[in-house]
Amino acid sequence: MHKPILDAVQLAQLIASGECSASEVLSASLDRVASTDCKVNAFTELTIDRARAKADAIDAMRVRGERLPPLAGVPFAVKNLFDIAGLATRAGSKINRNRPPAEQDAFLVGQLETAGGVLLGALNMDEYAYGFTTENTHDGPCHNPHQLEHIAGGSSGGSAAAVAAGHVSLTLGSDTNGSIRVPASLCGVWGLKPTFGRLSRRGTFPFVNSLDHVGPFANTVAGLTLGYDALQGPDPLDRACHATAIQPALPELHKGLDGLRVGVLGDYFNDHASPAAQAVVKLAAETLNARDEVAWPDAATGRAAAFVITASEGGSLHLDQLRARADDFEPLSVDRFIAGALQPVAWYLRGQRFRHLYRDRVNALFKDWDILISAATPISAPVIGTEWIEINGRTHPCRPAMGLLTQPISFAGCPVVVAPMWPAGTCGMPIGVQLIAAPWREDLALRAASALQAAGVASVRGVEL
Amino acid sequence: MTDEEAVRYVNIMSSVLSLPLTAARTLRVASHLARNAQIAEVLDGVAFDASEELAAIYCPAPFPEVKPIGTEHA
Repeated sequence: MHKPILDAVQLAQLIASGECSASEVLSASLDRVASTDCKVNAFTELTIDRARAKADAIDAMRVRGERLPPLAGVPFAVKNLFDIAGLATRAGSKINRNRPPAEQDAFLVGQLETAGGVLLGALNMDEYAYGFTTENTHDGPCHNPHQLEHIAGGSSGGSAAAVAAGHVSLTLGSDTNGSIRVPASLCGVWGLKPTFGRLSRRGTFPFVNSLDHVGPFANTVAGLTLGYDALQGPDPLDRACHATAIQPALPELHKGLDGLRVGVLGDYFNDHASPAAQAVVKLAAETLNARDEVAWPDAATGRAAAFVITASEGGSLHLDQLRARADDFEPLSVDRFIAGALQPVAWYLRGQRFRHLYRDRVNALFKDWDILISAATPISAPVIGTEWIEINGRTHPCRPAMGLLTQPISFAGCPVVVAPMWPAGTCGMPIGVQLIAAPWREDLALRAASALQAAGVASVRGVEL
Repeated sequence: MTDEEAVRYVNIMSSVLSLPLTAARTLRVASHLARNAQIAEVLDGVAFDASEELAAIYCPAPFPEVKPIGTEHA
């Protein structure tokens, strides 16, 4: 069994202390990718020359005795919808490969670089982020490192799989309806979907402007939090970046559960969770001293609104290419894009009008609760190509059903940490638990995550590849 | 929405939007649209006041005043 690699905090400490160099850490990451990614297919492009130059620069800073930034020498990689200077931003598509190379990095890539991170490359995803499985026909499916014939989840499947496979300890993804939380759940890694508007999306290829979030994956809570803190920063050039200041969460982690009121989501969230998913929720609830069941308001309606808004905005965004090059789209999603483009506007407007009512009802919950818990996915990762799944006796189309438990939460914009947990009865496959907090309270979700990790009930597990 | 209605709607709307579809694709798109219609029906149950309007850019809650996290309980 390959041991989990060190996390971002540990790597940065080793490099800062001189116990190993940034170049050595980079070489170890590149060796791991070279020897195992042929099985996982997480990476679509490597930026080796750029990474070597950055690692050399970090090592030179240390030799000169300069103070190193917090992620100095830590390799990271990003979903291939983030702009990387010099590369065409694929967003998982064939069509975008004809676009000119990006002239500059996405805002968040710049944030991690400024913090000393070493960009290793771009990662596999569902085309234009419209999917929960990363079964990408153009680049090939991303395989779940824990069982290669199973999906990694999506749409940020490469981002979760690269961490689970031990390629890197930190990656970036995007989440419109669950695209960070679903692959984090299915690959057994930590993932954070921040508050809508917390992190800048500038320099990312959009899917649904009304709903798109961006955020990190990592192999420990400390690494996730260090990465998240480095990503923070107001960006007046992104109209959807509502945060006007940085609120570091790392100093909060040590506070544990002290004073936190934790509840468990019932009803809709229980009905759509398999027995294995219910079991990890129960274990998380016991660990976090959560005894009360809480009703999330209008979950099915929230999911419906997110669904129709996604279809309309996604279809509309790509209408020109759907007219001209429909056969160059991903076969698994092109018909959904077209259906969305044809939808009556009344559906879309009802969804958007509902969102404010929904926000007020959801935010009212957090007067009584600090953290709410639910499973992140109804089941563990199905085999690649699965069309139908059964959840508690009801048959669902597999691909959209993977987002049943995430869509109602992101539609409200609440921050969520996914904790990797390992139920019995899934042949060793993980199911994540969502730790949901009020808008702008990522710190509370990360504290709950830290408590689960400290108790030994949530962790990233090594894989043999 | 029946299957026939969905196909008819797809044919009309794809023509309006100048989006050419093969017969096979029309059927697949109609199938997706019929499922979207089922999901959209959930929203029909919501009673809206006329004042409920769209926001250009959604904000889940006002960004809080800058102060160290956690000091509100101190």
